[in-house]
Amino acid sequence: MEYEVMSAEAPGRKQVNILGATFEDGKPSGEECGRWRQKLNSRSEQLKYLETAERYWYGKEWFGSEKRKNPA
Amino acid sequence: MAEEARSIDPATLEMIDKAREDGSSNVFERSSNMKPCPIGLEGSCCRICSMGPCRVPLPKNKEETAEERAKRKGVCGATAETIAARNFARMIAAGSAAHSDHARKVTETFLLAAKGEAKGFTIKDEQKLLQVALNFGVKIAERSNEEIATEIGELVMKEFGRQEGELTPVKSAPLKRQELWQKTKVTPRGIDREVVEMMHRTHMGVDQEYKSIMSQAMRTALADGWGGSMLATDLQDIMFGTPAPVLSQINLGVLKKEDVNIIIHGHEPQLAEMLAVVVQDPGIIEYARSKGARGINLAGMCCTANEILMRHGVPIAGNFLQQELAIVTGALEAIVVDVQCIMQGLADVAQCYHTRVITTDPRAKMTGAEHIEFDEHRAWESAEQIIRTAIDNFPNRGKNIRIPDQKTDLVAGFSHETINYLLGGLFRASYRPLNENIINGRIRGVAGVVGCNNARTVHDNAHITLVKELIKNDVLVLQTGCSAMACAKAGLMLPEAAREFAGEGLASVCEAVGIPPVLHLGSCVDNARILIAATAMVKDGGLGDDISDLPVAGAAPEWMSEKALSIGQYFVGSGVFTVFGTTWPTTGSKELTEFLFKDYESIYGGMWAFEADPYKMAELMLGHIDKKRKDLGLDKARDRVLYDMAMRRELDAV
Repeated sequence: MEYEVMSAEAPGRKQVNILGATFEDGKPSGEECGRWRQKLNSRSEQLKYLETAERYWYGKEWFGSEKRKNPA
Repeated sequence: MAEEARSIDPATLEMIDKAREDGSSNVFERSSNMKPCPIGLEGSCCRICSMGPCRVPLPKNKEETAEERAKRKGVCGATAETIAARNFARMIAAGSAAHSDHARKVTETFLLAAKGEAKGFTIKDEQKLLQVALNFGVKIAERSNEEIATEIGELVMKEFGRQEGELTPVKSAPLKRQELWQKTKVTPRGIDREVVEMMHRTHMGVDQEYKSIMSQAMRTALADGWGGSMLATDLQDIMFGTPAPVLSQINLGVLKKEDVNIIIHGHEPQLAEMLAVVVQDPGIIEYARSKGARGINLAGMCCTANEILMRHGVPIAGNFLQQELAIVTGALEAIVVDVQCIMQGLADVAQCYHTRVITTDPRAKMTGAEHIEFDEHRAWESAEQIIRTAIDNFPNRGKNIRIPDQKTDLVAGFSHETINYLLGGLFRASYRPLNENIINGRIRGVAGVVGCNNARTVHDNAHITLVKELIKNDVLVLQTGCSAMACAKAGLMLPEAAREFAGEGLASVCEAVGIPPVLHLGSCVDNARILIAATAMVKDGGLGDDISDLPVAGAAPEWMSEKALSIGQYFVGSGVFTVFGTTWPTTGSKELTEFLFKDYESIYGGMWAFEADPYKMAELMLGHIDKKRKDLGLDKARDRVLYDMAMRRELDAV
C-alpha cells in the first residue's frame, strides 16, 4: 500500500512530517476479512498453537487452576 | 394479545399487517385463535397408554388439600409427579435426539468428504481437524488430512451407538465436573443409548419415581451438550471452517426486489454451504439474468442461517417467527428447508403468493411442499437444481410486493477459538484477560442468552430487554440461535454497541479488545461452544474449579422447542443457573418443580428457574452472578499487595 504522509505541528520543531493512517477506510467486507487461522501455515505451527493457545486441554505443562495444591 | 403487542420488530409488524390485508394466515393469527391447553401446559396430561389420556391438573386458585393430592393420579396410579417428570423427560429426549441426529447426518457427510465421495465438501480447517484428532487420540504424524478425518469420522460414528464407558467429548469438561457426573451416575455412555433408555423408562409402567426419571433426563441432556451438539459443531468447523469475525446484515430488509430471493431455513449447514457456493457461479447468475432478475440473493433463516452467517457472512432474513412473513413480502422465489423449526404453515402461506416451498431432507417432508432431495454425493447438482427451480419461479412474481426497509449490521463469528485468539493474539491467546477483568470487577460476569421465539409472548421483546439489562450491568453476553438474531436486529452485535448500551466497565474491555458486548456464537448446536468457553474460564484459573463456581448464568427467555429444554438441562447439569421465560412445563407438580428449581443446586451446582418478566429475569441472573462473586471473594475491592522475598518464601512453603 502507499503510505500517506501528514504534516503536523510538533513542540519545539514547528511542522514535521508524520505517517498518516495505515488502515483502509470503510467497513471490512468479504469472507476473508476476519480470518486469522490462515496465519498458521504448517502442521507443526498448528500443533504448536494448540499446545500453547489451547493449553487448557493440549498443553503438557498446563492444567490451570485444576492442578494447584489448594483447591478453591 | 393486541396486534401492536405481537412484536417489537417494525419489519415483523409491517408484514403482519400485509398478511392481514392479503388474507394470508400466519403464526401470530393462529396463536390468537388457538389457546394453549391449560392441562398440557402444566405437564399434567398423561397420554402414554390407551387407558388414558389421564388429566391430573392442579386445583385452580386454591391450595391443594392432602386428600385432593392423593386423588390426583392416572388410571394406572401414576402420580402428578411421575406424569410431569415423564412429560418433561420425553421433551428432553426429543431435543437431545434432534441435535444428535443432526450430528449423525453431519458425521455421514464428514466421512464421505474424508473419503473423497462428496464432491464439493473438503477439510477446510486443518487445525480443528488436528484438535479433534487429539481429543479422540487419533495418530497425526505424517498422515494426510483425509486419513486422519476418516479415522475421526469412524470414531465419532461409534459415539452414537456406544453402549458403555463415557462419551469422548466429556473429557473436555472441567475435571471436577467429570467427577461429579461419575458420582451422580449421569455421565453419558452413548448418545443413542441415553435417548432410547429415556424413552423406555418413561413407557407405561417402568420408572415411576420422579427423581430417578430426572436422573436419566440429565444423562440424556448431557449426551446432547457434551455429545451430539459438541460433535456436530466440531465436524462442521473442520468441514466448513471455524468461525471468525464477519460483518453481515439481518432482518427482512435484506431481501432485494430486483433479485431472485432464496431463503434457506432449518438447522443443518451442508446444503446451505453448497447453495452459498453455487449462487456465485457465473452460469447460474447468467441464468437468473435471462429470467429478468438482476442476480441471486441468498439469505438465511433460523439456525441454518446462523451456520452460513458465521462462516460466510450470508445475511439473515429473520428468526423463527418471521419465516412465514418472508413469504408475505411477495418477493421470495423459494424457501428451501432442511430440518427442525420449520412451520407447516409455510405451505399454506405460500398458496397466497408465488413462493415455492422446497423440502430437501428425506426426514422432513411436508404436505403442500415440493421435495427436491439433497444428495451429498452430488451436492453441487442438488444445489443447482434447487436454485434453478427458484430462478424459474422469478417470472411468476405478482405485483403485490412490499419488502420492509429494516436491516441492521452485525458482527458474528465468535467461536471459542476466535474469542481465545482475540483476547491474546496469535502468540499469547488466552482467556486470562477475561478472567482478570471479571476478578477486577470491570466485567461482573458472563451470561449465555439463547433459544427460540414463541408466539405466546411478544416477539423478540424478552431477548432484547434481558440482554440490554445484562450488558448495562457489565455482564458479557454470549448468544446463539434465534435469541442472537433478536439482539442483532436491535444493533447489540456491533462494537459500537458497547459504548451505547453497556456499563462503563464492560464497555472499556470491549473497546480495548474491539468486540461487541454481545457475542454471536452460532446456531443451537453451537451452545456447545458456550460449554467450552466456560470450561476455558475454569481452566485458566482464578474463578474456582468448576463451571458451577463461575459468576455465570444462562437464559432462554422466549423458548419454544424441546431442543431448548435439552439445552437448558445440560447447562444446569454443567453447573449453570438457567432461567426460562414464557412458560414452564412442570407446574402441575410442585414437588418436581421444587426439585428442579432448588434441590438440583445441591446435586449439580446449577438449577432451573422460571420468570416471564425479562427485568425480573435479569435480576435473578445478576443475583446469582453476585452470589458466585461473593463465594469467590470478588465482592469487595482488595488492595494490591506487592510481595517481598520473605512473603514469597512463605507462599512457596504452603
